[in-house]
Amino acid sequence: MAAFAATAGGLLRLRAAGSEGQWRRLRGAGLLRGLLQPESATGVAAQRRRVAHFTFQPDPEPREYGQTQKMNLFQAITSALDNSLAKDPTAVIFGEDVAFGGVFRCTVGLRDKYGKDRVFNTPLCEQGIVGFGIGIAVTGATAIAEIQFADYIFPAFDQIVNEAAKYRYRSGDLFNCGSLTIRAPWGCVGHGALYHSQSPEAFFAHCPGIKVVVPRSPFQAKGLLLSCIEDKNPCIFFEPKILYRAAVEQVPVEPYNVPLSQAEVIQEGSDVTLVAWGTQVHVIREVAAMAQEKLGVSCEVIDLRTILPWDVDTVCKSVIKTGRLLISHEAPLTGGFASEISSTVQEECFLNLEAPISRVCGYDTPFPHIFEPFYIPDKWKCYDALRKMINY
Amino acid sequence: MKKMLAAAVSRVLSRVAQKPASRVLVASCNYSNDAMFEIKKCDLYRLEEGPPVTTVLTREDGLKYYRMMQTIRRMELKADQLYKQKFIRGFCHLCDGQEACCVGLEAGINPTDHVITSYRAHGLCYTRGLSVRSILAELTGRRGGCAKGKGGSMHMYVKNFYGGNGIVGAQGQIAEAFNMAALWKLPCVFICENNLYGMGTAAERAAASTDYYKRGHFIPGLRVDGMDVLCVREATKFAADYCRSEKGPIVMELQTYRYHGHSMSDPGISYRTRQEIQNVRSKSDPIMLLKDRMVNSKLATIEEFKEIDVEVRKEIDDAAHFAITDPEPPLEELGHHIYCDNEPFEVRGSSQWIKFKSLS
Repeated sequence: MAAFAATAGGLLRLRAAGSEGQWRRLRGAGLLRGLLQPESATGVAAQRRRVAHFTFQPDPEPREYGQTQKMNLFQAITSALDNSLAKDPTAVIFGEDVAFGGVFRCTVGLRDKYGKDRVFNTPLCEQGIVGFGIGIAVTGATAIAEIQFADYIFPAFDQIVNEAAKYRYRSGDLFNCGSLTIRAPWGCVGHGALYHSQSPEAFFAHCPGIKVVVPRSPFQAKGLLLSCIEDKNPCIFFEPKILYRAAVEQVPVEPYNVPLSQAEVIQEGSDVTLVAWGTQVHVIREVAAMAQEKLGVSCEVIDLRTILPWDVDTVCKSVIKTGRLLISHEAPLTGGFASEISSTVQEECFLNLEAPISRVCGYDTPFPHIFEPFYIPDKWKCYDALRKMINY
Repeated sequence: MKKMLAAAVSRVLSRVAQKPASRVLVASCNYSNDAMFEIKKCDLYRLEEGPPVTTVLTREDGLKYYRMMQTIRRMELKADQLYKQKFIRGFCHLCDGQEACCVGLEAGINPTDHVITSYRAHGLCYTRGLSVRSILAELTGRRGGCAKGKGGSMHMYVKNFYGGNGIVGAQGQIAEAFNMAALWKLPCVFICENNLYGMGTAAERAAASTDYYKRGHFIPGLRVDGMDVLCVREATKFAADYCRSEKGPIVMELQTYRYHGHSMSDPGISYRTRQEIQNVRSKSDPIMLLKDRMVNSKLATIEEFKEIDVEVRKEIDDAAHFAITDPEPPLEELGHHIYCDNEPFEVRGSSQWIKFKSLS
């Protein structure tokens, strides 16, 4: 029961360790059914993990944007896209399978509402999708491209890095593809394995000319996505797929903006700064609570929100105050974005640091299938690193 | 016939030395205003009918095409010279020999149509409206260049012309583009300027099929003589009409030739013989073909053409002088236009203490 309460808004993962060894994910309605299922149904020797590696913590209901509605992440995305298409007559949404609503239901109802000229499917070619999006954006229309999984964005890497990012620069501001936004589901999901779990933000952080954004919750997602769409630079918007259904919050119905390149201090503290983005923010929030309870350590929790260009000031101000920094992300350690943050912070705040900057990240391996629970930087690994930092 | 004409002209000239020669010529000689020419039939793929085999060329148009082609030719040769004098650095891909392609293309489309091309773009830059000055200044990297000196040879842009692109490894991209264009019936003409060599590799050794106009597979295509500006013009008009009448995309292969190597670092003779280049130059040079046609049909005289040559030469020399003497863009430009931002931000880089401000 405690487990159930803890994961009320979270994702339930059952592992049927029978012959297939497959993961089964039960969604909201099936939650109860899964719990009440007798052991024998899935095999005597079945090991079951019922706890996701994080607990989604919703933010308080926002009051300043008008009427709100309970939405999960994919509904918030749909709402943002709906607002965009309504406000901007040139906006179009395209990608693989977006017409029927998308594999994650992010575009449900939009084709019926706005017509097949504005919400349409593309052939199975990521390079073509982004190339096509760049072309639309150059003519001035607003292009919202969907890449079905962030893992598939690599065929389009050349188009993004060599074409989209450099369009304005190389033409001396004569042309630009600023009205392009690329959306992609991102991050681990419990059963995604090698090609449905990657977090490629570090590859794109190395490319001046584009913006990279990762939200942590439905409210943030809608505001950040609207900001990306309206921003006059090509943007990549990564949506943590594990939160599509797990994260439920009150989200305003009307459009609103969350500013880009601004990190948010979710919780103020005085002893350690914890920085993360996307799903990992919820992990470190829990770590902050654990640290307060068990060690009496006051943590400042920062959600970076925009990876590129990132908010150096907020993070550095926080480290100057606390003297300790822990950065956490699912992507592999070497060359992950934590290394950029770490490097810059030690440049700017060297004399303020009380302990070496700690990075709790995924292992330097391809994202594993069976070993996922061991791979991801869960709250215990973060807590351990934090303890070492405190005792340095 | 030519000698008689020349004699008559010089007599007239000597009598009325004050008036500008061109006006005198028109007044005293009977020139036809236009003439009909036969052009080579295009090979067709998946098309019932092709462009016409005869076309009418007016004197005015003919002189205009000649001037444009000659300007491009001289501009490319000047770029060659400037490169060897090290005023132009980096990469420079010249299109002399292929002038009929860009001039013919421009003649067949509207100024409001959109054009995008690869790196051998100087000719198209000119035909799409950039001045020789801005092209040469861009090559030398000065602030008077069309991309403020930041783009160089491969990145020149102007209204309705999207460059100038350093295209690499595009076989897959082209397949995807063909698929999308045909699927959505996009009004797009895909043009292949087939100059027989892909960098240093002959077409037969790089392509399983060298009938490039058929490579659109489900997209119809035509193969055009790319050394004849009139042939290119008619084919372009045909292709543009095909697209405009919402029949979908079409592929056009222009059979042409480049005199220079692939780029300035390629002598151009290690994979082909000088004899071959000389043959093309003497038999199918586009400028020569047009000039001979016009003179033989009495549309214009050799002297007029010589005059145009002189004017063009002067224009190019002026432009080259500008390109050499114009100052380079200021160092602050390094950080500009990375992003479009409301407030400028600082661009970090190789030194911790030197940062550039990015403005848009």
